[in-house]
Amino acid sequence: MGDVKLENVTKRYEDVTAVDNMNIQIHDGEFVCLVGPSGCGKSTTMEMVAGLTMPTEGTVHIAGREVTNLPPKDRGVAMVFQNIALFPHMDVYDNISFGLRLRNFEKDEIDRRVDKAAEVVQLEGMLDRMPDEMSGGQRQRVAIARAIVRQPDVFLMDEPLANLDAKLRVHMRTELQRLHKDLETTVIYVTHDQAEAMTMSDRIAIIDGGQLQQIDPPLECYNQPANLFVAGFIGSPSMNFVEGEVTENGFTSEYMDVEFDPSNYGVSAGDKVTLGVRPEDIYPAESGRSISSPTGEIRTKTDVIEPMGDEIFIYLLLSEEVETDLEDPAASNQLLISVPPDSDVEEDQDMSVVLDRNKIHLFDTESGQAIEHSLVASPAASGASGTSGAESDD
Amino acid sequence: MSTEQSTEQTRSRGGSGAFSGATRWVENLNDTQFAYLLLTPTLLLLGVISIWPLLSTFIMSFQADSIRGAAQIGEFVGLENYIGVLSGAYNTVVLPQPFFDLSSPFTSALIVTFIFVVISVSFETLIGFGQALVLDQDFRGRRWVRVAIILPWAIPLVIQGLIFYLLFQPGISFLPDMLYNLFGGLGWSQTPLVSSSNALLIVILADIWKTSAFMALLILAGLQSVDRSLYDVAKVAGASKWQSFKLITFPLVLPTVLVAMLFRTIQAARVYGLIETMASCTTVPSLSCLVVSTFSVRRYGTAAAIAFITAAIIAVIVSVYIIKFRDEGGV
Amino acid sequence: MASEGGTATRSSDSDSQGGYEGWVQSSIQNPDRAYRAAFYVVMIFFLVTTLFPLYWLFILAVTPNNMISNMGLLPKGFNPGAFVEVFTTLPFHWYMFNSFILALITTVIVLILASLAGYVFGRFDFKGRGALMLLILAISYFPPAAFLLPLFRLFTGNIEILGLSSPMLYNTPGALFLPFSALSLPLAIFILTTFYAQIPDGLEDAARVEGTTRLGALFRVIVPLSAPGVATAAVLTFIWVYNEFFFSFLMVDGQAKNWAPIVWGILGYQGQYSASYNLMAAAGLIGVLPIAILVVIAQEKIVSGLTAGALKE
Repeated sequence: MGDVKLENVTKRYEDVTAVDNMNIQIHDGEFVCLVGPSGCGKSTTMEMVAGLTMPTEGTVHIAGREVTNLPPKDRGVAMVFQNIALFPHMDVYDNISFGLRLRNFEKDEIDRRVDKAAEVVQLEGMLDRMPDEMSGGQRQRVAIARAIVRQPDVFLMDEPLANLDAKLRVHMRTELQRLHKDLETTVIYVTHDQAEAMTMSDRIAIIDGGQLQQIDPPLECYNQPANLFVAGFIGSPSMNFVEGEVTENGFTSEYMDVEFDPSNYGVSAGDKVTLGVRPEDIYPAESGRSISSPTGEIRTKTDVIEPMGDEIFIYLLLSEEVETDLEDPAASNQLLISVPPDSDVEEDQDMSVVLDRNKIHLFDTESGQAIEHSLVASPAASGASGTSGAESDD
Repeated sequence: MSTEQSTEQTRSRGGSGAFSGATRWVENLNDTQFAYLLLTPTLLLLGVISIWPLLSTFIMSFQADSIRGAAQIGEFVGLENYIGVLSGAYNTVVLPQPFFDLSSPFTSALIVTFIFVVISVSFETLIGFGQALVLDQDFRGRRWVRVAIILPWAIPLVIQGLIFYLLFQPGISFLPDMLYNLFGGLGWSQTPLVSSSNALLIVILADIWKTSAFMALLILAGLQSVDRSLYDVAKVAGASKWQSFKLITFPLVLPTVLVAMLFRTIQAARVYGLIETMASCTTVPSLSCLVVSTFSVRRYGTAAAIAFITAAIIAVIVSVYIIKFRDEGGV
Repeated sequence: MASEGGTATRSSDSDSQGGYEGWVQSSIQNPDRAYRAAFYVVMIFFLVTTLFPLYWLFILAVTPNNMISNMGLLPKGFNPGAFVEVFTTLPFHWYMFNSFILALITTVIVLILASLAGYVFGRFDFKGRGALMLLILAISYFPPAAFLLPLFRLFTGNIEILGLSSPMLYNTPGALFLPFSALSLPLAIFILTTFYAQIPDGLEDAARVEGTTRLGALFRVIVPLSAPGVATAAVLTFIWVYNEFFFSFLMVDGQAKNWAPIVWGILGYQGQYSASYNLMAAAGLIGVLPIAILVVIAQEKIVSGLTAGALKE
């Protein structure tokens, strides 16, 4: 019953369009993350589901009912907020039971539900505490209890873990997943942290500039990003991009060439394309011989080396001078690669690398749309990601 | 679970009467409509009790006085009242006669008000600052010292006037004789409350007594919002108490002090009640006094014009403040 | 209450070291002592100057009236009966009661209206917000006299609206609490605006998602959380009304039964019984008493309320 449907939803403020023609369908019991950089419109989207913001155009359905113009209280949703938003003048019991009391539930029923919710989030025996007497994690649990006690159709969570410290955040992440498994209620979860989105959700909706970029299961977003934005946003560290163009023999750029037959991939000579490859899909030439379809060797020089313990990140320079541009990573001459922790590397050393052809992505530089996710010969018709809802139209 | 959900929904939709209909209507207003709905009672009250009377008075200021006869106000005369007051043409005919050894009642009212504002606001700021610094310290019995120091602020104006009347009334108090013996040579009167210059000083003194407390209260609030750790930083950096006052306390409370001075200036420029209860409007004629005294002889047009001239003067002061101190922040 | 200053206790401990010279010596070595001494001198100066006028009232009140002439710093004789006589000569308690009721009514009206307006100004961005706030501020530029004549005519039934003459409010509470409310409203609005603006949006959103209406969120969450601000606004409004002179003086004929407030009680002694200085003084002291109690109870609230918000904009 807890499905959510946004149809052509647009929110315009006086001079900015915060959300632009958003179409999302979320199934009952699904855990969907809305993820994107700050200001991308993900929170506005959630607020329109909650009823805290009214859309300029479009409709919102919850549980099969149109709720576009209903106030939040009549939508059957519960929400957990980034700043936790416990009422500081009420104790835990009053906070959790707030919504039930507003709806004139009977005392016994309220007690029963509050006890149950407190048990679920392990807050038994703390019902008479005030919020300022509790730790951050406990407060967060109260906020969750307040949301589950009403047994809503949909849970909305707006960066609920953003204000917690790193350790607690990981812990609460697991707890939320367990909770979702137990309750089987639809969850819409807003975060700017792609790692959180990857680990928790059934599907990720990546939003940028008020527009939906892609909505797919996490691995699909990772392996078959719909466009340059998704490719760069999902995955840490980010995918490497190299701008170049298509020739008769494949891809060429100032620093590297990758051979392929353009006709197999629906591109033709002269097309401007961006090649994308993730750090773990680049290998030092000697170890790269073990992979099934390496590209030709690319000559580089090591720059900065970052040992992470379980792997080592190496920044490679494709030419002598460092040219980085944070605004447009594809214009830089750096490659980031990840190698096993026992690799023997030093700074300022020559190094040849190969790319895994299976994992090379091609994007149309102009539109940003994905063209191909593998350069191992396959039918030209395979086309772009081919997944749902991802065609962002300009 | 789904059964319980539906109970919630029926409950929340239940009670469909006129009330929930109205609630639904209110909830569906957009922000601007909702804002104006909530402002309606305020605007209604201000409209009837403040804005309408002001407009009405404004119109009156362009009408002739009508001292006799049934009509309270005469025909439209344009700017005549303003010109009459400002040029001095109304001096003998219209304005109650003079005080303070100055030929024009309006200019003397202007000067009285100016002296009152400048002296009282400066002293109140200095004393209030001093009091606030004292109250900002931690010491035993601070609560009671604080009560004592801010108490005058809460004392009704009429009682404040009574106190200073009783202090400076010859025969009752030792003060008038003492002051006469000390300052008689400088022109201090034996009956200070009926001497314009003396009474003005006494009114100022009374105002300082009461209103320094108000300044202290506001400045204390400003002092207490200064982050205490800044003082530790200063101490670690080797600043003396005076330096940390000069470099931290003063700049940080300056905006508060300026706002407080602005409030006070607006109030002081309208001084009336204190004068009326201690001395009288004929001894110490302020601008507001002039409004009331012309009003009480039914020269409504003139009274209205003076009221608006007063408001214009206050508006000028406020604008000067705001423009001058905008950079200091706060105002 | 006030945390006790460690320095204060320390310096008084060492006072016993002996003699003026010893004190000077140690002051030079320890400039804090000099600061402390100066501090107490200044504090005592302020206490004397603020309290002396009230002490003066006390001297006059307890001195029998026929003994009052060229009074010095001590009462001549002791006649507490003046404090009783105050109530029998004039119905002074009625004047006080009137002031009290008027202040209460005004405070309630102002809090309700200013809560709604402060909520709107503090938490909404809408067309005309700036202009309206400026308008409300501008009203305070005008001398009360500028409102007087139209209001007087309105309250004496001399204004016709759609053929009906305005209600006769002169000599009723309405002629007083309406102008009181209108004139003290702007300050309360500014105080509450700053307080309400500081409540995180999340709390209001949470309340609404949990099931309140927008107004419900205001009165269930925002107002209770701004309790210090509401208390500050309430106390300031109450004191303002109790202090008010202009309309209190001009909108009633001065009789206690016609809701004349304390202004008229005091003026009654200053006018009719102008030779009864002891009664005047006693009435003054009695009139100060309730407001003094309010200050004792609420001073902490007022200061912290102003600190927390009112002055930040």
